[in-house]
Amino acid sequence: MAALTLRGVRKVLGENTILRGIDLRIEDGEFAVLVGPSGCGKSTLLRTVAGLEEPDGGSVALGDRDVTRAAPRDRDIAMVFQSYALYPHLTVRDNLAFGLRLRQVDEAAIAARVAEVSKTLDIAHLLDRLPKEMSGGQRQRVAMGRAIARRPSVFLFDEPLSNLDAALRAQVRVEIKKLHQSLGATMLYVTHDQVEAMTLADRLVVLNAGRVEQQGPPLEVYRRPVSRFVAAFLGSPSMNFLPAKIASDGRVEGDGVSLAYDAARYPALKPGDPVEVGLRPHDVSPASDGRVTLEVEVMEPMGFEAYAHGTVGAQGFVARLDGSAALPRPGERLALHADAGSVLLFHPETGRALDAAEPAA
Amino acid sequence: MRASLAALLLLCVGVLAPGSAWAQRLVLWHAYRGDEQRALEGAVEAWRRAAHPGVTVEVLAMPFESYASKLESAIPHGNGPDLFIDAHERVTSYRARGLLAPVASLGEAEYTARFDDTAVRAFSSDGSLWAVPLSVKCVALYLNPALVHGEVRSLADLEALRSSLPRDSYPLVYEASSAYFHAAFAHAFGSGYLDERGRYLFVGDGAERSVARVLAMLDARTIPEEASGTLVSQLFLTGHAAAAISGPWLAAELGDRVRFTVQPLPTVPEAEGRSLEPFATVEGALLSAHAREPALARVLARALGEVPAAVTRARVGRQVVATREAWERSPELARDPVLSAFRRASMGARPMPTHARMRAAWEPARMALAKALRRDGTVRAALDEGARRFADVTRPLPRRRDGTLALLAVGAAALGLCLSALRRARDPDYRIALRRSASAYLWVGHAALAVGLLVVTPVVIGAATSLYATESGRSYYVGLANYVDILIARGGPLLATGSFYRVLLVTCLWTAVNITLHLALGVSLALLLSRPALRMKAMYRVLLILPWAVPSYVTALAWKGMFHRQFGAMNALLVALGGEPISWFARFSTAFAANVATNAWLGFPFMMVVTIGALAGIPRDLYEAASVDGATSWQQFWKITVPMLRPSLGPAVALGTIWTFNQFNVVFLVSGGEPDGETEILVSEAYRWAFTRQAQYGYAAAYSVLIFGLLALATRRRGSAR
Repeated sequence: MAALTLRGVRKVLGENTILRGIDLRIEDGEFAVLVGPSGCGKSTLLRTVAGLEEPDGGSVALGDRDVTRAAPRDRDIAMVFQSYALYPHLTVRDNLAFGLRLRQVDEAAIAARVAEVSKTLDIAHLLDRLPKEMSGGQRQRVAMGRAIARRPSVFLFDEPLSNLDAALRAQVRVEIKKLHQSLGATMLYVTHDQVEAMTLADRLVVLNAGRVEQQGPPLEVYRRPVSRFVAAFLGSPSMNFLPAKIASDGRVEGDGVSLAYDAARYPALKPGDPVEVGLRPHDVSPASDGRVTLEVEVMEPMGFEAYAHGTVGAQGFVARLDGSAALPRPGERLALHADAGSVLLFHPETGRALDAAEPAA
Repeated sequence: MRASLAALLLLCVGVLAPGSAWAQRLVLWHAYRGDEQRALEGAVEAWRRAAHPGVTVEVLAMPFESYASKLESAIPHGNGPDLFIDAHERVTSYRARGLLAPVASLGEAEYTARFDDTAVRAFSSDGSLWAVPLSVKCVALYLNPALVHGEVRSLADLEALRSSLPRDSYPLVYEASSAYFHAAFAHAFGSGYLDERGRYLFVGDGAERSVARVLAMLDARTIPEEASGTLVSQLFLTGHAAAAISGPWLAAELGDRVRFTVQPLPTVPEAEGRSLEPFATVEGALLSAHAREPALARVLARALGEVPAAVTRARVGRQVVATREAWERSPELARDPVLSAFRRASMGARPMPTHARMRAAWEPARMALAKALRRDGTVRAALDEGARRFADVTRPLPRRRDGTLALLAVGAAALGLCLSALRRARDPDYRIALRRSASAYLWVGHAALAVGLLVVTPVVIGAATSLYATESGRSYYVGLANYVDILIARGGPLLATGSFYRVLLVTCLWTAVNITLHLALGVSLALLLSRPALRMKAMYRVLLILPWAVPSYVTALAWKGMFHRQFGAMNALLVALGGEPISWFARFSTAFAANVATNAWLGFPFMMVVTIGALAGIPRDLYEAASVDGATSWQQFWKITVPMLRPSLGPAVALGTIWTFNQFNVVFLVSGGEPDGETEILVSEAYRWAFTRQAQYGYAAAYSVLIFGLLALATRRRGSAR
């Protein structure tokens, strides 16, 4: 087991700069999730750690060892690929044993390790099958088993769940978490799915256009996003944004919105400053004296909750409602209330959070 | 008005004339070209004008290569000529097929006396003269007066020139390893190739002494090694040879470019002073047994041998005419130094044996001579091997067998098939199924018919041929005798040269070595071409596929040229690297290597293309997974690339095996089976049985069926192993 340290990692492909200086430290045994939209460089960063890409600048260290120029096989890492990349001509047993055989582990030890791994992952009954004879979920387990069998110090996951259906994805997600708890290994996990990111991570790393936008414990990142980008990326449905101005009485006022905010959190703001108000759909609730007026256009009842889609002023807005209460009908106006503590304010041009922010990464 | 009436009249005459009794028509076939063709046409026209103005003579020039087979198929069906010009060697075969009528009886001594003895002898048998002798062709001695001073009477006179000539020049050049040229030496030493009764002669004391004499000349550098026809004329033309043994064609080639004289071949002191006695080929006018105008055809044939026609043929066609009187009456001919020298040479020449077995004697004699001259074992052993080879090829054909049983079996099988078809047709389920798929059968019907006609029928006929033996163009049923003969190696040792098993071993070695090379070359090049870093990939790809795009026989001939001992690029390269030139086709190993090199060149592009396609289908992330798992590039190749290529390369290897197993072009054109037929593979061996050894089609067909069986078995096993 080892910590993983990246310093100023840059990568240029042709005319595109994919990574613009990534600094990251993942502690020994930590589960870090790299998250970001498509094209943000998260897969490239993972491949750079694996040694499949060579960085154009900066360094990668495993523990105290600089592995920037080391071949993948000399890095003591294992990787689970999005496509699983199982060797199609080998049985599950041989797939699991592949890396061990290359390292000339003796056959008895290999058999024991394969048995252990297949028991852990519940794939013992599949050992003699070929990859083409298995379902997607089974292949995914074998791919993880192949990584585990080698007992590397760092595990890399490249969107391992994206080829599974939703139900299976939820199940495997839990299993991966259990696995991490039982192995205690350092893991670096790439996904574009913010649910996976939130649920799995000890440390969440949000990447945007080749830079680390924010990192930290997932809940902290969720609650105190440093930018509109992070705020919008995490949470589903996504955060609502409304243009407004600071009023004189500790409120923000805008078209169809008038809300109190936590002035202590935003000491630098003066009346008249333009801001962007961020409100999560979950943080609003209907109230007769609510000062956010939503014109409902579409209702999405989900059972125990419901989403009301509509506009506030001229802006699109989504509100989560209690599914058991009477639901408004399209065309109705709904008055909504939000606690001052849940109102986030962003700079309307730079998109940075306006609170006494932690230094942006 | 008057003109149109005349034209109408002429038209009527034209239409009526062929049918009328006085307008006769003759057809004359020949295979001459150039001057000889012009001379013949001139002579015929002169005869027609002078004596038979009402006769139409159609003089047809036929292609030389298929001349005999055209005659053999056309004459019995009445489509052949009334008379034709051909060489005397074929008379026996034509007579056996009943194609000829005699032109005179040998009793007409007055008539036969008009021609040179050699010529008359060539066409005489069973009391008749079978053609009007026209001309004699044989080889003679060309001398370069700039290098030869004084008379050349014996070989010793030529050998004496050695000391006065520079090292790169030779006293004598001729195609020493050609059986045709060696005949002169064999005859001088009392040997030959075949006697009148068809017995093989090129064995024993006289034959050995004749070969030893040639070896002595090679040792003394009197003659060059491995001389081909091209080399002979080149050396003589450039003044690097004092003398040459060659035919009239060399004179035509030399023209005015170098001064030369011609004389009959010299004597050999070691052969009790006898002269070298070359083969003579006598050409004559032969009469078809199915001529429409036999009497008139005979008149024309005889006329072609008369003085006026003979003089025309000699003057225009440069033929050494066989008509004595022509030489006596035409001072122009008598004064012509080249023609008269060839005439004198022809008088000392021996007509080529006419026995049907002569065709089977050439190959053993040529191989024996070649083996002895390259000093592969003793001369005696080489000649004895030739005799065995001849005996092998001319062994008695299998006995005729009663085909009734086989016919009954085939009939019973056919009947059984019909019955079972009938029974199935009555099954209602089957009829419903048939009706449902009727339209499908309609769609494939024409294709099935075409395949049936073009593929199945020839295959069945070919396979049936293997149950027959052929003698003088007539086939008879012999059952499985051909197969038995092949499988017991014709009674000889199982691994003797030319036995089925030996050739099979060579074929398997050939196939294995080739496929290995094809795979190694094809896969490595494909791997190189698939490297993402490589630039100008498309160009390399085209260049590497090119060998595949060139017709294989063109490639094979080009490679054969490169392996020539004297002019080949390979030996030039060896010499440039400080090595000794190699006689590539003198040893099995080098001849086999030459064949393999050619076929490797021909075969790797296919494997390369297949591999490139298969490589493109291997996902990149497998290599990434393997490299993360700890595999080096080498391990990635063996553990990922090779197993992933296997499914695509398997069928390609099966196909390549079949192609290589049957790669006739390369073996036939590059080594031609040299040395001694050792590099022959099964298909080329089958070809030899059919086309150079007494036309044993049945035997060759049995070979083909066995080849088919072996390949079917091999590919089936491969298929079921998967």
